[in-house]
Amino acid sequence: MFKKFEDKEMVSNVNNAKSSVQRGIRHAVLEQFPHIDDYIEQILPKKDNLKIVKCHEHIEILANSNGEAVFFRQRDGPYYPALKLIHKYPFILPHMQVDKGAIRFVLSGANIMCPGLTSPGAKMTKVDKDQIVAIMAEGKQHALAIGVTKMSTDEIISSNKGIGVDNIHYLNDGLWNMKPVK
Amino acid sequence: MAAAETTESTAREFLTDIGPKPGVKYPVDIRYCGECSMPTEYCEYYPGYERCKKWLEDNLPKEFEKLMSGKGGGDIEEEKDGEDKKKRQTRGGKGAVKAKKKLEPEGIKLATSTRGKKKKITIVTGLASYEIDLKAASKFFSNKFSCGSSISGDDEIVIQGDVKDDLFDILPEKWSIIDEESIEDLGELKK
Ligand SMILES: [Zn+2]
Ligand SMILES: [Zn+2]
Repeated sequence: MFKKFEDKEMVSNVNNAKSSVQRGIRHAVLEQFPHIDDYIEQILPKKDNLKIVKCHEHIEILANSNGEAVFFRQRDGPYYPALKLIHKYPFILPHMQVDKGAIRFVLSGANIMCPGLTSPGAKMTKVDKDQIVAIMAEGKQHALAIGVTKMSTDEIISSNKGIGVDNIHYLNDGLWNMKPVK
Repeated sequence: MAAAETTESTAREFLTDIGPKPGVKYPVDIRYCGECSMPTEYCEYYPGYERCKKWLEDNLPKEFEKLMSGKGGGDIEEEKDGEDKKKRQTRGGKGAVKAKKKLEPEGIKLATSTRGKKKKITIVTGLASYEIDLKAASKFFSNKFSCGSSISGDDEIVIQGDVKDDLFDILPEKWSIIDEESIEDLGELKK
């Protein structure tokens, strides 16, 4: 989603979310990621100003009071946590660990192919299709991408070919490099 | 990153962790590299890894030592699970990757500058790190742009004229080993 994203060109406007909107967002995010329940006040503090950054291609980024992206979505789609948020709270998403050989491809923005998820260095969580996941890597501790599954874990194993997980947001993409939102 | 469960049918291990881990303080404290901006454990994948190393050495000497000693760049130990640690160690660690590093491409850097009164030139560095023959490359540029081109350093070619924008397309076309993403625009160099 952010491979060609340049914040200078892509951002069309920034608004402070009204408190009713902010409540709605908190509610939606909690519903989608129930495990953040105990941490929601750290992640989206009630008294903080949440900024809504509208970008081209109907991308909407939510930034906290420090200007750091925390969640994003496209159109009315689901919210995705930003990578920096996953680094702080890795439990928000189920993990899909790719093998070492896949790392450089993921870092170049490529989608995650099934073999990179089924080889001996890889490890998956059992999930359904269309699940938002954190892409982890063999021998590494931190997520390198956020993705969404194109097949269930079982299908990834049984077919073992094609794209298993779409790469939505990865280290050093446009969102990662976005300047703090003012 | 997790306790693993084995199923009888395939003997494949799955990750089963859900939710915050007991005993771990959140937010997790994480260090990003000042050069490539990634978690330091991913620096080795950055085209400018040599500069990352320099930055790590200056700013996070302990981290640097750990990375160089091949023990991995773990700045946190999220899991306390002894079994898991053992598994990670038996995966061969970073030894193999470390040995390969010297051959890794360092990315291409493009810059323009001026020579003489108003003559623009384009400076290309990094081709040699992809094991591309500089002599052949220089000749290729001179044919492609119908202009002068010469080797001007260990890993540097100077092309007459401002052809930087074209190079973003031409380099990956000519040498598939070069990814457009790994070409960096240094802008105009002041003399
Ligand atoms: Zn509800
Ligand atoms: Zn680095």
